[in-house]
Amino acid sequence: MKRTATILLGNPLSVLGLILVGFVVLTALLADFIAPYPDHAGAVVDFVNANKPPSAEYWLGTDVVGRDILSRIFYAYRVSLGLGIVVLSIATPIGVVVGLLAGYIGGWTDYILMRITDVFLSIPPLVLALAIMGLLEPTLLNGMIAVTAMWWPWYARLVYNIARAEKVEGYVLAAEIIGGGRMHVMFREILPNCVPAIVTKMTLDFGFVILIASSLSFLGLGVQAPTPDLGSMVSEGTRYLPDSWWLTVFPGAAILIAVFGFNLIGDVLREVLEPD
Amino acid sequence: MTRSVLLTSAAILALGLAAPPALAERILRLDEAPIGEMDPAKGTDYADTVLAINLYDTLVYPRQGGSGVQPHLATDWTIEGPVYTFSLRDDVTFNSGNPLTAEDVVFSFERMMALGQGNSGLFEGRVQGAEAVDAHTVRFTLTEPFAPFLATLVRLPVVDKATVMANIGAGDFGEFGDYASEWMSQNSAGSGPYVAESHDPQTETVLVYEPDYFLDPAENHPERVRYRYGLDASTVRALMARGEHDISSQWLPPEVFAALADEGAAHLVTEAGLTGEYFKLNTRRPPLDDVHCRRALAYAFDYDTLLQLVRINDDTTQGRPMSSALPAGLIGFDPDLPAFAQDMARAQEELAQCAHAPGDHPLEIAWIAETPARERGALMMQALYSQMGFDVSITRTPWALITEQVTDPDTAPHVIEIAVSALSPDTDSLLFNMYHSSMPPTWMSASYFVNEEFDALLEEGRTETDPDRRQDLYAEANAILKEEVPAIYGYELLGAFAVRDGVSFHNLEDPARTYPVSGFNLRFADISVPE
Amino acid sequence: MRILTRLSIRLATTVLVLFGVSVLIFLIARIIPGDPARIALGPRASEAQVEQMRRTLHLDEPLFAQYAHFVGDLFRGDLGISLYTNRPVTTDIAQFLPATLELVILAGIMMIAIGLPLGAISARYRGRWADHVIRVLTLMTVSAPSFVWAVVLVLLFSYYTPLFPIAGRIAETITIPPVTGFMLIDTLIAGRWDGFLSALHHVFLPAFALSLSGIGQAARLTRANMIGTYEQPYIEMAQAYGFSERRIAARYAFKPSLIPSLTIIGLDFAALLGNAFLVETIFAWPGLSRYGVGVILQKDLNAIVGTVMIISATFLIANLIVDLLVSVINPRIRYAERSE
Repeated sequence: MKRTATILLGNPLSVLGLILVGFVVLTALLADFIAPYPDHAGAVVDFVNANKPPSAEYWLGTDVVGRDILSRIFYAYRVSLGLGIVVLSIATPIGVVVGLLAGYIGGWTDYILMRITDVFLSIPPLVLALAIMGLLEPTLLNGMIAVTAMWWPWYARLVYNIARAEKVEGYVLAAEIIGGGRMHVMFREILPNCVPAIVTKMTLDFGFVILIASSLSFLGLGVQAPTPDLGSMVSEGTRYLPDSWWLTVFPGAAILIAVFGFNLIGDVLREVLEPD
Repeated sequence: MTRSVLLTSAAILALGLAAPPALAERILRLDEAPIGEMDPAKGTDYADTVLAINLYDTLVYPRQGGSGVQPHLATDWTIEGPVYTFSLRDDVTFNSGNPLTAEDVVFSFERMMALGQGNSGLFEGRVQGAEAVDAHTVRFTLTEPFAPFLATLVRLPVVDKATVMANIGAGDFGEFGDYASEWMSQNSAGSGPYVAESHDPQTETVLVYEPDYFLDPAENHPERVRYRYGLDASTVRALMARGEHDISSQWLPPEVFAALADEGAAHLVTEAGLTGEYFKLNTRRPPLDDVHCRRALAYAFDYDTLLQLVRINDDTTQGRPMSSALPAGLIGFDPDLPAFAQDMARAQEELAQCAHAPGDHPLEIAWIAETPARERGALMMQALYSQMGFDVSITRTPWALITEQVTDPDTAPHVIEIAVSALSPDTDSLLFNMYHSSMPPTWMSASYFVNEEFDALLEEGRTETDPDRRQDLYAEANAILKEEVPAIYGYELLGAFAVRDGVSFHNLEDPARTYPVSGFNLRFADISVPE
Repeated sequence: MRILTRLSIRLATTVLVLFGVSVLIFLIARIIPGDPARIALGPRASEAQVEQMRRTLHLDEPLFAQYAHFVGDLFRGDLGISLYTNRPVTTDIAQFLPATLELVILAGIMMIAIGLPLGAISARYRGRWADHVIRVLTLMTVSAPSFVWAVVLVLLFSYYTPLFPIAGRIAETITIPPVTGFMLIDTLIAGRWDGFLSALHHVFLPAFALSLSGIGQAARLTRANMIGTYEQPYIEMAQAYGFSERRIAARYAFKPSLIPSLTIIGLDFAALLGNAFLVETIFAWPGLSRYGVGVILQKDLNAIVGTVMIISATFLIANLIVDLLVSVINPRIRYAERSE
């Protein structure tokens, strides 16, 4: 842990990443205090100030009903981060269990579970999420389900490969010989060895979950108004290009900042933790 | 290869291709929301109407510069009780070269009713049969007197029987196979001023002028028309600024219309198509089952702000105030009524009389996802009604889901903003579908209004043929709607179009040439384009 | 012989996975809230008509029977009628798929042509400024969804400097008879050189926007693989022999790294197919993705199922081709990796 911190702080790229992620997390957490117009996250209309370009009063301009875009970006970060946490904390356990079962038990369990995983992996991720979202009602919860459905197979793959490699290691054989049950071996012996890889992947994925979720809502299948959401802000703004460019460019940049921050950290982490 | 090298080479590539080749023919480029349904027996939407009037002809057409209908394929007609007899022009040929006869009219009617889609519901159960008396006389016998029948005939495009029958596929209609259901969605078989050259319901329909058309076209009428579907507002805006698009759809946000007019690239025209922008109130669900709560919402409604939102600039607006349930120009409309205005005092009065306290029930407001400008109206209501103590939620719902939700009155949203157009230039086509208690629950009837007195008036309006008496009947029905508030009558929708300078949209630029029904002005042959 | 065996195993697995995809999509499609028959007929249909349609669509039968109908139709190449466009789904897909494939293939070519060299440069100058610049840039390109890049590109190169067209596949004055549906090929078949250039002009910006994140992925992957290879003993040997850096980079480091990169690029093809949904919207590109979003919003059951099946099949076939390519280039490495 201490070593990781040293590494992250020693690399200018990851420091930049930490700053960006810190910015995103802080603005999301403290949105109530630092957003210039906290009530603009909800159903507020101020038609007099609608569609105003950036100014001293509204740093990033206002949207088509007169809400401050900066404030809405802060609140949208809150939604994005929440979604990322929920998706990963559901997808990871599912993937881990599937991967462990398939990798350790092997045989038919392996074949069936991994073919199911293949099925999920062989539908382009966004298309699968779109199909699920399209058929269910477009709400935040269903958005989470859709993204989770496309995410768990990656963890299953990852853990599967590790479990298959670890299964023939001495310590696992030893645990089996002294009569450790399957559950014990899988979750107590093998799982701890998967943790570093899982953590790295989660860091890397966090950015991508935000990215995919914004893509879904860009297509009109995500968070419902008036809840602020970066993807739908971009999507609504594109109607007003090129005149009202601030409606699109700033939320787009906000996505870039958040995902880029997580990716910078993940990139450095991976280079250090998984030397290949 | 670095990115800058790549972009430079892209720029070179772009510059080398920038000069467009010279135009060889007069072309008109328009756009509309997807999809375009070309089979006149299936179409219902705006784009479908526009395709139908350009590819096909009807017995009668909405009256230019007035209300009611005028002769079109039919030169004149007689009405004897439930029997309508039409004399047809004898100089009309289909694009195939076949002459248009009474038999084609009968076939077109039977085809539409057999397929049972599109506008067939307008005739369903009202017509006993159609028969060809001779080659140019056709007779419709109704099951009972139905005054709006003549006006409804603007929704019966005549198809070429021989061409249709030559293209039938396997189907459930005996000797008629599938009635060429598949073929007709891809090809046209009409007598109209244009023929479909290619058709892709999601991308575009290309139409080519038919020089033998029986009516004279405008000077410099387009020889080729590209009717495109689903272009983004920003795309249309950029294309028009570049001179690569001629007439926009009416669904652009006001800001974009304003930007186009400001730039001097285009001028704006509007079409008053007998369309009301209604906020339908669900009269089956509390608290709106109580008329006082409905009135409270209507009095509190901010009509002025809503109209302000749809105003494009000083000269043009997408809406004008309403004074009753009816758009101007329909039978029963009274021009002397005062326009609706916000009245908070009366709203509070009505609220006090309502059996439900505002906090007792949630208030769900849905707006249609495909029409983003409507979010503003929904947000405005949410802000207003929250102040009155209602617990208001707003939902952005795709159209397909709305049409599904409204079939169950007990769970349908409390308020839905929907624009509804009269399908024919007769009041009946608007009011009956929306408010008669016999209508099944659909998006048109999403108020689920039940009022016996009102029902009786509408039924009498259908059988009554005296115009003055009908005016009285519908005025009375209109008064009931104002009193009972099954909907908030937001504003009368004016379809705005940005027209590229140099292009003349005569039908909408000159009120004397305007047709009163939504979509019927877009006769491409009546438009002049630059050489 | 071994390749043939492996090929048949791969083919069988592909078919099996496709079967799985069909079950999955079918199941998702049947838990749809709302009545597909009513949606199909539109709001003005009567209850009797809805009932009739329900029978036509086999919605009144048990789930298993419905699936049997579904697979039976599938084998006959019948995906049903799109309730949205009123045409057979296969007609719709046949029309829209080429436009999307054209976009995706061009983006795929850009991804390889730009991404691999960038990665190689980055690896060769590891730790130097070129490496840092490329790493940051490529990380940025993967850090924003394609629609953000599409908006940026369209603003810069279509609106502010009108270098590229705003929409469409070809100049509207040029009419090309459709043969393959691929505009770049059809124009050549028609012998229209101006049409070909126009089509290229139209497809360039959307394809570039789509390829950006792929370029980033490919570059990062190539870099990682090449750095791995640089640490191999035979590179040290080559260096000891005094071979030039350029020769070492190209022959001994780049080439072996290409193979694992290619495998992953097969996977990235999936991402391109999905991301085309986002790019086509911005550029009004008349492709399958735009159709897909349309039918999803309209809850057009047959069309959703058909679109997802076709996209998945396309993706599986692309992966199969990549696998074959790789095993042709170097069967030993391929085999070793499989049995890991």
